[in-house]
Amino acid sequence: MTDLRSPSRLLAAAVATLALAGCASNQAANGTGDPYENVNRKVYKFNDTLDKNIMEPVAKKYADYTPDPVRNSVTNFFQNTGSLNTIANDLLQGKLKQTAQDSGRFIVNSTVGIGGLFDPATSMGLKQHNEDLGQTFGTWGASEGAYLMLPLMGASSARDVTSPVMDLLLNPLTYIATVVTLPAGVVSTINTRANLLDATRIRDQAALDPYTFVREAWRQQRTYDIYDGNPPGDGYEDYIEGQGDAAVLRVY
Amino acid sequence: MLHRSIVHTLFALLLLAFTGQALAEEAAARAVVEKLHEALLGAMKSGAPAAARREALAPVIAESFDFPTISRIVTGRYWKDASEAQRARFIETFQRLSLATYASNFKSYGGERFETIAVEPDQDSQVVRTVLHTGEDKQVTLNYLLRQSDGTWRIVNVIAQGVSDLSLKRADYTAVIKSEGFDSLVNRLDKKIAETEQNP
Repeated sequence: MTDLRSPSRLLAAAVATLALAGCASNQAANGTGDPYENVNRKVYKFNDTLDKNIMEPVAKKYADYTPDPVRNSVTNFFQNTGSLNTIANDLLQGKLKQTAQDSGRFIVNSTVGIGGLFDPATSMGLKQHNEDLGQTFGTWGASEGAYLMLPLMGASSARDVTSPVMDLLLNPLTYIATVVTLPAGVVSTINTRANLLDATRIRDQAALDPYTFVREAWRQQRTYDIYDGNPPGDGYEDYIEGQGDAAVLRVY
Repeated sequence: MLHRSIVHTLFALLLLAFTGQALAEEAAARAVVEKLHEALLGAMKSGAPAAARREALAPVIAESFDFPTISRIVTGRYWKDASEAQRARFIETFQRLSLATYASNFKSYGGERFETIAVEPDQDSQVVRTVLHTGEDKQVTLNYLLRQSDGTWRIVNVIAQGVSDLSLKRADYTAVIKSEGFDSLVNRLDKKIAETEQNP
């Protein structure tokens, strides 16, 4: 964390990751858009072991013992510190109205919402948007590129791998002393994991091959986010046409 | 003049008939989804044990979904090579899995409500757009794709918050068939059903 505190080093890291992403997207896909599946599966297994043994139990305890209003405030707080990143990406995507709305949101929640603990902006009609660098690249026309399973961070892709770097750069917490940043990071991680308990319950209930399940769900969710909830046709028409046999779109 | 007005009237009537037909189809598709939602809410409010919820939901699930089409899609290119017996077993197993999943996920009521937003006809299908309100400011969009089979509109896909159930299952299931074979997939689905049913 300490050597990432200097903005110039962070920028260098961002550029390096961008360059890496460029290489990655040149890799030929093997039909599933997952040319590194072998490595990805190993990383997935590592993440899953860690999650099942530490993160999930901790998150469950946290969810059990933390009253909902407190959890909501924790979520609000970290969403608020993350909103500079959203605003920057609103701007990069040319969404001027949304830029203004999210800036207003940030100001209202930081002040009236007591440093972001509460979310009065939503009831004022300023709803939370969700934008990041990967989505910006998506709206600029970048395709997903190779699917990547990142250690500790989970599903990503060549297009999205730089998102967390920008997120970190534009998060005010990054520039505060490590004694604050570190515990804040831990709380944020546990809280985020707790908010995902429902999603992972559905995965565990439905998935036969959790790796494939997560890849597919993550992809669709990203497409949904890039198109702000209105993706152009989900391709289900194509699945159905030609009585199924002739019209196989993607071969697994 | 008289002749022309007759043509106009006929044309208008024809148009009306077509629109009427289209509206009737829309209403039929919407009714299928709303009936399912009604049944799910009923299951949640009943607070009955899982077995009773399954029994109550079974007829609605059976008539709402087009299981043969869904089965064909989620098994992808492997459907073609499956025998009649394998196909029949898959369809039957998948239907039981859907029932078990719905019964297990809709078990208690906390003020949730469904809202139908729009019905959009699209070539030979209809998309029914709905929202499940789970709390203040919290909602999940649920879009249903329906197709007509045997003259009845039936659900073939549910897209929850942008994630298509059909393509999710298709990716998952074909990965299993590819590495373990068709019969192994059905055996594993059977195991899933047992696990889900044991979860009260």
